Amino acid sequence: MNDSAGKAAERRTFLGILLGGIGAVVAGAFSWPLFRYLSPIDKGAEQQQVRVPRQQIAVGGTHFFSYQGRPAVLLQPKAGEFIALSAVCTHLGCIVKWVDEKQEFLCPCHGGRFSTAGQVLGGPPPSPLETFVVSVAGDEVLIG
Amino acid sequence: MKLQKEAMDWLDSRLGIRELLHSNLNGYLLPRNVNVWYTLGSVLLALFGLQFLTGILLLIYYVPDTEKAFASVTAIMNQVPYGWLIRYLHVVGSNLIMVFILLHMFSVLFMGSYKRPRELTWLSGFGLFNMGLIFCLTGYLLPWSQLSFWATTVATDAAGAIPVVGDHLIVFLRGGPSVGEATLGRFFALHVMGLPMAFLGLVGFHLFCVRRAGISSAPFGDDYRPTELTKSFHHQEHPGGVPFHPNYTIKDLSMIFFALALLVAITFFAPWLFIPPDALTPADPFSTPEHIKPEWYFLWAYQSLKIFPSALLGLAAQGAAMGFLAMLPFIDRGPERRPSKRPIFVTLYLLGILLTIGLSIWGHYS
Amino acid sequence: MKQVQNVCLALLCVTLMWVAPALAEDTVCIQCHAGQEGSLGEPVDQWRSSVHAANGISCHDCHGGDPTDFAMAMSPERGFIGAPDYAEVPAFCGRCHLGVMEDYLDSAHGRALESGGPQCVLCHGNHEIQMATIDLINEESCSRCHDYERATQVKQAIAATETTLQTLESSVASLHRVGIDVERIKADLFAKRNSFRRLFHTVELEKIKTQTNQFNQDLSETKQQIDDHETELGQRKVVGGIMVLLLLLGGCIALLIRRSYQAEE
Repeated sequence: MNDSAGKAAERRTFLGILLGGIGAVVAGAFSWPLFRYLSPIDKGAEQQQVRVPRQQIAVGGTHFFSYQGRPAVLLQPKAGEFIALSAVCTHLGCIVKWVDEKQEFLCPCHGGRFSTAGQVLGGPPPSPLETFVVSVAGDEVLIG
Repeated sequence: MKLQKEAMDWLDSRLGIRELLHSNLNGYLLPRNVNVWYTLGSVLLALFGLQFLTGILLLIYYVPDTEKAFASVTAIMNQVPYGWLIRYLHVVGSNLIMVFILLHMFSVLFMGSYKRPRELTWLSGFGLFNMGLIFCLTGYLLPWSQLSFWATTVATDAAGAIPVVGDHLIVFLRGGPSVGEATLGRFFALHVMGLPMAFLGLVGFHLFCVRRAGISSAPFGDDYRPTELTKSFHHQEHPGGVPFHPNYTIKDLSMIFFALALLVAITFFAPWLFIPPDALTPADPFSTPEHIKPEWYFLWAYQSLKIFPSALLGLAAQGAAMGFLAMLPFIDRGPERRPSKRPIFVTLYLLGILLTIGLSIWGHYS
Repeated sequence: MKQVQNVCLALLCVTLMWVAPALAEDTVCIQCHAGQEGSLGEPVDQWRSSVHAANGISCHDCHGGDPTDFAMAMSPERGFIGAPDYAEVPAFCGRCHLGVMEDYLDSAHGRALESGGPQCVLCHGNHEIQMATIDLINEESCSRCHDYERATQVKQAIAATETTLQTLESSVASLHRVGIDVERIKADLFAKRNSFRRLFHTVELEKIKTQTNQFNQDLSETKQQIDDHETELGQRKVVGGIMVLLLLLGGCIALLIRRSYQAEE
């Protein structure tokens, strides 16, 4: 009687350790996501600067390039004044084209039009083109 | 181990906790025939605990502003590391809690555990059930999706059926004539502060009543005898019983593990189960989705409003049903708890469940 | 004075709120034409089932006029331009669908317009227009004017890309269903799809073949992004599965422990 009780106690301890182990694994598996969730988000990759040599953009002309993984456009409407905009139309996502004669952007998908400042001039787009921070350093234009 | 004993000694000499622990764990005797349904209370406690935890975590990144709410939830799901996990645990958890609350209520009804002297336990439990519903209602407005906006519009519209004050009530509930910034503000405050505080208070009271009155024997088996009702208070003793700890603590733990397994399974393999497509589109106050309907736990109410010729009648019928349920211990006063000896009750019970399920299914397909 | 201003503003708001539901329901165009017979009334139901209607594009968006005012609904003052003649159709549709119009006018079809060549409505319909599919290129439609041989070749050239596009779009929909933010990918895919579809309108086999290669390359980038998401989802499921098994195991072990206590009772 005592023997079987002893064996039962041993088994119970073993099972208890097993259960504790599983509990620890589950808790550990949850604590990693918890730690990552609470940690500050690394925004380093998002803020890469793009440099464009000044000569590439004529006065009244544009230069299309990639910024943060998406098409963007740099323009110089007046000498020395640079503007950087997202080239993604805010209507449904097509890439806008530059219309030199009218000095405005035109979206080939549904005719949305944007000014040199990115403001909506006509058509279905609901909001202006996103603007990016621009600065000039010597003979380079810095975006972002 | 020495350290543990010393710590316990220190606490015991100041607070007498050894006696407390003994009388609530090893020395707390429960009947031998307590069935698996008795574990649902602990399961609910564990799930609610998880809701509090995931809810607080979501609060870190969620923004309660109509312009930013949906975007903040999208950011949680896509940019915050493991944000999707926390959010899905919270959503699936809330739905599972409603399921387990219903199961817990069904078992209490079936075993007649609401009867004297446990009327207060029942009333506080019924309050907790309603609180769960309001938690869900206020909660699913927060992502500000099409579902959020329109399901809340439909739900608050129901109040309009009340004569005289109905329309004013709708405006009061919403904080304005239609669901908007004001609604988000008050629902957020309720969901995040008001309800949790009230909930903690009520659950504390509920647990106090459970412990104070003592665990009821399961009304099954040949040995069962209805308890004698006495005028004065007496705690339900079970002298030949088994200690709560370790016998039932381990049983509760096993059911909690199974419930968590279900929660995790749905979270990882069917997260869309409780998220209809309308919940994935941002709210558009000018465009009502087709077939908008409230969440599954409100479908019975939604459908019953539709089948009555007047909305007021529908609302009154629901109110009567809920009121009947709330007042049950005062209506069904007989001491008999064995289902086999309560044919009328069991029939009404089964019919009630079938009716609710039927209305819900109908509401889903209509 | 301030009080009068406030009262006027309030009255304006109330009026707008009163009118707004009517706006949200039906334009005056629909209200009038829905009750008319023959060619004046048919477009209403046709339009309702169209892809334009599904995207909130209504009568006045193409025909002009004022959709809120019965008196001015068909007034040139409010931009009403009526129904276009046969040869005016490409310019009419091209007010929004510029890219397509450009490619079309440049093509053999466009050059044949004045002499009765095909225009938009001939293949796409007008009011009942649906989202374009590759099946618009079919024997019945294309052999109205010439043999189907050339059209078959063009259709073959674009078929593979069209299928890829459809597969990608349905993958994106599945990703969206589980909460992945697919806005960028969707927009990217939309832009690529549109650029691709306008290409067909040149009806120049060689040009289409060359450009198709370029598109397939672009699309493979999009496919890569979608694949990355799907891989991640798969990984999550594996971890989730392990967790479920561990939890089930834990529950069973706890029950075994319970049973050992029960044996002693």
